[in-house]
Amino acid sequence: MIEYLLLAPLLTSILCAFTNSRKQIETISIAGSITTLGLGLVLVYNVFRYGPIVTWENSLFADAFSAFIVLIVSLVGFVASMYSIGYMGHEFEHGIMDVKKLKLYYILYHLFMFTMLLVGVTNNLGLWIAIEMTTLVSALLMILYSRKSSIEAAWKYMVICTVGITFALFGTILTYYAAVKILGETGNALNWTSLIEVADQFDPTIMKLAFIFILIGYGTKAGLAPMHTWLPDAHSEAPTPVSALLSGVLLNCAMYGIIRFYTIATASTGDAFTSNLLIIFGLLSLGIAVPFIILQEDYKRLLAYSSVEHMGIIAIGIGFGGTFGILGAILHMFNHAMTKSLMFFAVGNVLLKHDTKEISKVSGIVKSMPVTGTMLILGGLAITGSPPFSIFISEFTILASGFSQGHVVSSVLLLLFIIMIFAGFFNHISNMAFGIPKTGIITGDMSRWTLGAMGILLVFVLFLGIYIPTFFYDMLMQVVEIVG
Amino acid sequence: MSELILGSELVQLIIALILVTTFMILSSKRLYSCVRAFSIQSLLLACVAGIVAYSTGKFDIYIVAFLTLVIKAAIIPYIFIYIINEIKVKKEVELYVNISPSLIIGGVLFVISYYLIKSIHILSELSSLSLSASMSLVSIGLFIMISRKKALMQMLGILIMENGLFLGAISLTYGMPLLVELGIFFDVLIGVLIMGILIFRINRTFESIDTDMLKTLIG
Repeated sequence: MIEYLLLAPLLTSILCAFTNSRKQIETISIAGSITTLGLGLVLVYNVFRYGPIVTWENSLFADAFSAFIVLIVSLVGFVASMYSIGYMGHEFEHGIMDVKKLKLYYILYHLFMFTMLLVGVTNNLGLWIAIEMTTLVSALLMILYSRKSSIEAAWKYMVICTVGITFALFGTILTYYAAVKILGETGNALNWTSLIEVADQFDPTIMKLAFIFILIGYGTKAGLAPMHTWLPDAHSEAPTPVSALLSGVLLNCAMYGIIRFYTIATASTGDAFTSNLLIIFGLLSLGIAVPFIILQEDYKRLLAYSSVEHMGIIAIGIGFGGTFGILGAILHMFNHAMTKSLMFFAVGNVLLKHDTKEISKVSGIVKSMPVTGTMLILGGLAITGSPPFSIFISEFTILASGFSQGHVVSSVLLLLFIIMIFAGFFNHISNMAFGIPKTGIITGDMSRWTLGAMGILLVFVLFLGIYIPTFFYDMLMQVVEIVG
Repeated sequence: MSELILGSELVQLIIALILVTTFMILSSKRLYSCVRAFSIQSLLLACVAGIVAYSTGKFDIYIVAFLTLVIKAAIIPYIFIYIINEIKVKKEVELYVNISPSLIIGGVLFVISYYLIKSIHILSELSSLSLSASMSLVSIGLFIMISRKKALMQMLGILIMENGLFLGAISLTYGMPLLVELGIFFDVLIGVLIMGILIFRINRTFESIDTDMLKTLIG
């Protein structure tokens, strides 16, 4: 079951390597994504209905939390591959991409999907390996355009994230050391399924040290400040469908690693230590994002800093703890993935038409690109936490938890930061969406592939803001039970 | 048991030599010398792993020792030499921090690491030298990354950090489960290859591999 899920993107990647026409590549890609999504949904259904799956001699494993990550990866992966056909097709038609680069893009795209799925389903806390793999593959996607800025971004991404993940490896080693004392030197001593059962017996001093390294290490990858410096460069310089995957999915994979370790560390240290650290890093992330969002001039970087903000919010939610803090955080992972992808797709369309990322050189999108413009406004309201959109629900849940758990100062700060970011962010969106289009801009929306992809995401953004289906709520509560 | 192995004079000597190779890198102005010192460092690490494997009788650790020898002492240095020759750059290391201050800082980092390890009482049952060396390699590797201009040296700094972690893992637990070790080796090797690709791209695009050039993205 899990093996087939991993095989799907791998085979898709290989098949792309053996084709030479744009049409064939695109067909294989979309078929591969649908297959991956289908298998992902089957896995999700089986796990939530019948319980955890363990296979490949305990190496592969899927519980409710794993399945949740698989859901996000395969869903956004599918939608982004739809968008890719429109976006990369446009680049191809305008001579920016040739068939060789197009092929390379799709090969790496599905390889990237594979690495992120691997993060979700690996039982071994050597999920370090899978997370580092995501860095390696996506760095190559980043340099598809041979621009100076892209190469600089890729190098910075590669170096900073590899250093960060090296710290995470040390945290993993310390955890293994604590585990070996209890479980003995068996191959199982690094399996989640083994660790979680005896985590309360681990040495709290060692686990505190381990968690610090994990938080700094995977926090780098998740874009938590002050380790976030690679993120605005990478997310703004990557091809836009990849930006959506980086912001919507990859950051969640790293946050997943942090949360897994949080659960283990908390079992032996108590939650005060781990929670306070998460709240501090979370608030720092929002605080740093505020000025860069307000003063931003590049709209893709604007979205990138928004991701720093939202990863901070998720960290704070876990830190607040309690059923609703964690529920809010987990829900926020999903909501942010949907909404941020939608936003990147919208600005991707803007970029195709305007050929500039400068906010001041874009205006009147609603007039020149009616559908995209509408999506941009709705997405902008959604990403900044307005009702009646999904992110409002998860942010509200986290804030309510913060106040009720007694974290009053943190909650007030969180609220203030969110309000400031709302004002700054939406000011930029308004300037882009309204007014008169710049001279020379031809009216008309982009490819239907791109609009279709955005439409799918908008359904989730709207629907989950109004009503959370019972089965989805049950899924979330299963995850909360694992984490909390 | 682990104290007996890691406390043995032979292992202590090898670990001291590992630290020496790190300071050789700090004191060198030639790229070739840095790469050669890294190769020797990795060779010494393989020796430590080999001794641990012999003493504990765990076959897994022999595999790890062999892989360290092949990948870190041979293949990766070869890749570095290939890159240095192909991109025809100045063969000297260019510095943000000069050699004398670098050596002083390296020494300070070692002392800090030593006392840090000592102060964590839980861990002191193990050989403090091996853990101190581990922490030293990580922190000095990080220092090399921020104090040297060439992208290649940043790459080398990361690899030194990884060597430090390897030594730490051996010190604490005789290494991770074999599957994890294999995965780490795979990631390190692919990481080096991809960073190599990036360096070629940097060289072609910027006509230099000085990281001074990589400063256009801000704000």
